[in-house]
Amino acid sequence: MTSPWSFRALSAITIENVWKQFRIPHERRPNLLDYVAGIFSGGKRYSYEEFWALKDINIKLERGESLGIIGPNGSGKSTLLKLIAGIMKPDKGKIEITTGSIASILELGIGFHGDLTVKENALIYGVIMGLPRREMRKRTESILDFAGLARFQDAKLKNLSSGMQIRLAFSIAIQVEADIFLVDEALAVGDIDFQEKCLAKFREFKQQTKSLVLVSHNMDLINGFCEKTLYLMNGEVRALGASREVTSQYVMDMKAKPTQ
Amino acid sequence: MNRNVRYYFDVITVLAQKDFKVRYRNSVLGFLWSLLNPLAYMVILWAVFSLLLRASIPNFAPWLLVGLLIWRFFSIGTSQGLMSILSNPSLVSKVYVSRYAIVLSNNLANFFGSALEFLVMLPLLVILGIDLKAYALLLPIILVLEFLLVFGLSLSLSSLNLKYRDFYQIWDIALQLGFFLSPIVYDANAIPVRYRFLYSLNPVTRLIESTRDLLIGGQFPSQFDDAIIVLSIGVFLILGFLIFRSLERDFALEL
Repeated sequence: MTSPWSFRALSAITIENVWKQFRIPHERRPNLLDYVAGIFSGGKRYSYEEFWALKDINIKLERGESLGIIGPNGSGKSTLLKLIAGIMKPDKGKIEITTGSIASILELGIGFHGDLTVKENALIYGVIMGLPRREMRKRTESILDFAGLARFQDAKLKNLSSGMQIRLAFSIAIQVEADIFLVDEALAVGDIDFQEKCLAKFREFKQQTKSLVLVSHNMDLINGFCEKTLYLMNGEVRALGASREVTSQYVMDMKAKPTQ
Repeated sequence: MNRNVRYYFDVITVLAQKDFKVRYRNSVLGFLWSLLNPLAYMVILWAVFSLLLRASIPNFAPWLLVGLLIWRFFSIGTSQGLMSILSNPSLVSKVYVSRYAIVLSNNLANFFGSALEFLVMLPLLVILGIDLKAYALLLPIILVLEFLLVFGLSLSLSSLNLKYRDFYQIWDIALQLGFFLSPIVYDANAIPVRYRFLYSLNPVTRLIESTRDLLIGGQFPSQFDDAIIVLSIGVFLILGFLIFRSLERDFALEL
């Protein structure tokens, strides 16, 4: 299958001077009365700690190139992925997606509504990811087969295990005619059989010059699929470059740390 | 159809279907509740007001029913609209989908529910002795206008509620008050003359009066009704979009 986007602009994702701030309230003030009281009682002002989850990130990803994102927990990996997906907006800088569309497989499962069936949830997820409704109806069966969930199509989603839910999400997302796939730790949950299937699908994407952006703690996976790797530490770029060099630097850093 | 238009059409359709299904899932009678509920209210209110308080409004039972159905769409539409973002965390923080579409599809589900309720209730009005005129065909326009009002309010309420969860409680009380500030169980003429102008500015009152004109009175709503309804829709939609747009940025962080 050839991609209709083959002749489009060269770079797929451009991330320029991106900063993202989280505010951590010192004193939770989740209701209006507390907030108003806080304004009037001079000393107890609404205060929060400004915490930069991402600081001055710059990346250019060319068409068909794949990016690995590594780093310890809380270093900003998932936040960056959410910014690329458009779920959050950066406070400074800009993110441009120049090539076609994005499919994202973030966090665990989809779980739009636990009381609806597996099939119904699959339809919602597929349509949101950009598959037309009619197309989605036709493909539901093959999607559930790939996920190994055909037996459970009329079960309520809440009765599925978390591994099954992520398998479902994954199976739908790979049906999307996207040019960039964002994958956040999704593989860690599936069993070995399913992981093998997914890796085969990733290889297929690579051959079709689609881009992958993988967040993972599995260095072999990163080295196997990504030309470039970004190593984040406390929201800053610690290293960015060829995957083998960056991943080995990360492994050495982690070994050097006494408590890890 | 344009690719983007088709995409949003599909997204809003599946989300509205979802809200519609979820509303009646896990109940044996399902959509029937949508009909039993206003009917039960009608009977209770009719019994209280016409037997005990001896209200003397002609066609009292159908008159009550029309007011109740319009009110029902408004109160359920806005209170579910208020929760639409908060009760769909995975749509906000796990995938990217327009957040306007989340609120819109929730309101649409209620719009269709309400349209169905009216459709089933119209024959009942005839049974209760109402001579429906051709004006009844204009009812869909009223429902669309009410839908726009509900959408405008839901935009403000859903985004504010995410920041301050108090809005859920505040709106609950506001709706209790609104029920009695609208001529659902009493005639608007019962309001003292000097408050009547202020009272008449309530867009829900205008919607109820207009619907009664169309279905029971067999006449066009007054221009005053039209003006107040259209004006308030404009105000609430603009306000809704402004508030929603300024708060939407942080949605994923608030959930």
